[in-house]
Amino acid sequence: MKRIMIDDSKCDGCKNCSAACMQAHREPAGSIYDLDMSDPKNETRNHILADGKGGYRPIFCRHCTLPECAMSCMSGALNKEKDTGLVRYDEKKCGACFMCVMNCPYGVLKPDTLTRTKVIKCDFCLEADSEPSCVKNCPKKAIWVQEVQA
Amino acid sequence: MRHVIIGVGAAGMTAARRIRELEPVAEIVMVSKDEHVHSRCMLHHYLSGHRDERTLNFVSEDFFVRNNITWLPSVAVQALVPERKNLILTNHQVICYDKLLIATGADSFMPPIGDFPTASNVFGLRNLSDAQAIGAYIRPQGKVVIVGSGLVGMDAAYALLERQMDVTVVEMAERILPLQLDEVAGQEYRKRFEQAGCKFLLGRKASETVTDGQNRVCQLVLDDGTTLNCNLVIVAAGVHPALGWGLGSGLEGERSISVNDCMETNLPDVYAAGDVTGLSGIWPNAMKQGRIAAENMCGFRMCYEDTYALKNTINFFGLVTLSLGKGQVQEGDQVVVSEDRHCYKRAIIRDHKLDSILLQGNIDYAGIYQYLIKKQIPLEQGQDIFKTSFADYYKVRLDGQYEYQL
Ligand SMILES: Cc1cc2nc3c(=O)[nH]c(=O)nc-3n(C[C@H](O)[C@H](O)[C@H](O)COP(=O)(O)OP(=O)(O)OC[C@H]3O[C@@H](n4cnc5c(N)ncnc54)[C@H](O)[C@@H]3O)c2cc1C
Ligand code: SF4
Ligand code: SF4
Repeated sequence: MKRIMIDDSKCDGCKNCSAACMQAHREPAGSIYDLDMSDPKNETRNHILADGKGGYRPIFCRHCTLPECAMSCMSGALNKEKDTGLVRYDEKKCGACFMCVMNCPYGVLKPDTLTRTKVIKCDFCLEADSEPSCVKNCPKKAIWVQEVQA
Repeated sequence: MRHVIIGVGAAGMTAARRIRELEPVAEIVMVSKDEHVHSRCMLHHYLSGHRDERTLNFVSEDFFVRNNITWLPSVAVQALVPERKNLILTNHQVICYDKLLIATGADSFMPPIGDFPTASNVFGLRNLSDAQAIGAYIRPQGKVVIVGSGLVGMDAAYALLERQMDVTVVEMAERILPLQLDEVAGQEYRKRFEQAGCKFLLGRKASETVTDGQNRVCQLVLDDGTTLNCNLVIVAAGVHPALGWGLGSGLEGERSISVNDCMETNLPDVYAAGDVTGLSGIWPNAMKQGRIAAENMCGFRMCYEDTYALKNTINFFGLVTLSLGKGQVQEGDQVVVSEDRHCYKRAIIRDHKLDSILLQGNIDYAGIYQYLIKKQIPLEQGQDIFKTSFADYYKVRLDGQYEYQL
């Protein structure tokens, strides 16, 4: 399967990846120049945290080999896809119980801020084909896509 | 090899899927009282009218076909005959197994109060069939009394308020959701429920019933003499493992089926998983137990290790809460509270380790707390528990998977 690999030592916290993620998932579509980053409708599926010592910790969904989120989903909205290895989220199935948020061991997930009716989850930008948006937009090449055993 | 699974709930379905992955050609037969595969945790969405039989399903519609599984719906197992390795069903069919998984879940507990056990308008809420039966009594301004303000009771209250029913909740404890929430967090929900028209009678027990000529409870009498008129009663006073059918088969266990770490019962080739084991009463653990049972049924030795079960999330009126641990303060504990307009947080720290945490309003990225509690990770001097995140334990493995660096 493919995974977004991370070299946290290269990350300088510019958050281009987060902006790119918001841009990729915004509705209605538009250009990055009119993306309103303060609008709670536009949420990022990844987030970058400071380590308190000048470094940064990029938090991205791992599409885990044994995903705790999917192993706690009571609606079947979260599933690890056999062929791609990606952990996919089906908003229409989701019952908004947020057990997945509680069970992701890396604190990757969150409920959507505005309505609390869905989960904000990395989809690998599958709809938009090619590479995930965050990866394309990281100026430091701190994240990249790689085939891994999982 | 023929695997037979009783139950199409969280444990049974997870086990079936895993067995199919491990043994592409083995025969798999599933039996269930349930007519439809459905997630019990979403029954309130059915009561409120937001979901139907089809959208309560937590697997794909073609699950059984795609996985080549024979499913016998709407039929109950009546007896297990371990000497002959077979099951007898209520339709007198007999089915043999090489490996058997019992994943029959739990039944609602119906307390012996007045005519509760026999009246036609008193229900538990556990199965879709319960919700369907309750459905017939739903009408605007109809009076419903809900006994018990745990998760199931409040789920029912929430749904029936949406259907404009006149809802009264009777609760023994002095606050709602007493196991999951403290006074402050419970009060937040209580306010919202009351605004929506819900009435609460706290610190009260149901003690008697008055029944009309047609076997319906029309009044509920409480321990202080209060009487409540009602058209419908929902009892959400707990559950007990569903194993009545298995009595006399030689299965060990008193109130639940005893299993070892591999989910094996005392009988050869008979496994059990989910609520029927009494190990936990929550969905994620039932799934995990189902998976472990499947591994062992296919000959892989695997242990059920992630046994932590004191965890729940709640989402009513768009107010989300996460509750981990017993939430009970002992002598010597450090209790940390943080409150602002949007959020209430309380942590109990015991011997420099996180024991319980309650987050209400904002649970963003809060997945790590369970890990800290489960693994009993020592906290550092002065560590702000509410600012703690995975960044504090950050490590990326060579294959890109995260792990905790301690
Ligand atoms: C209203 C409600 C809300 C809930 N909310 C939550 C929540 O928010 N979070 C959470 O973690 N958990 C919640 N739970 C608990 C959760 O649903 C259970 O922990 C979980 O369903 C247990 O799974 P299981 O596979 O053990 O059993 P079940 O899901 O109960 O499945 C049991 C299966 O066995 C079948 N069966 C039983 N007896 C027989 C028999 N004799 N013959 C044939 N088949 C039989 C039934 O038909 C059913 O298919 C909730 C439960 C209810 C009722
Ligand atoms: S959300 Fe968390 S548990 Fe689920 S796949 Fe992503 S990293 Fe893994
Ligand atoms: S919030 Fe949705 S995706 Fe997450 S566990 Fe609940 S039903 Fe599944």
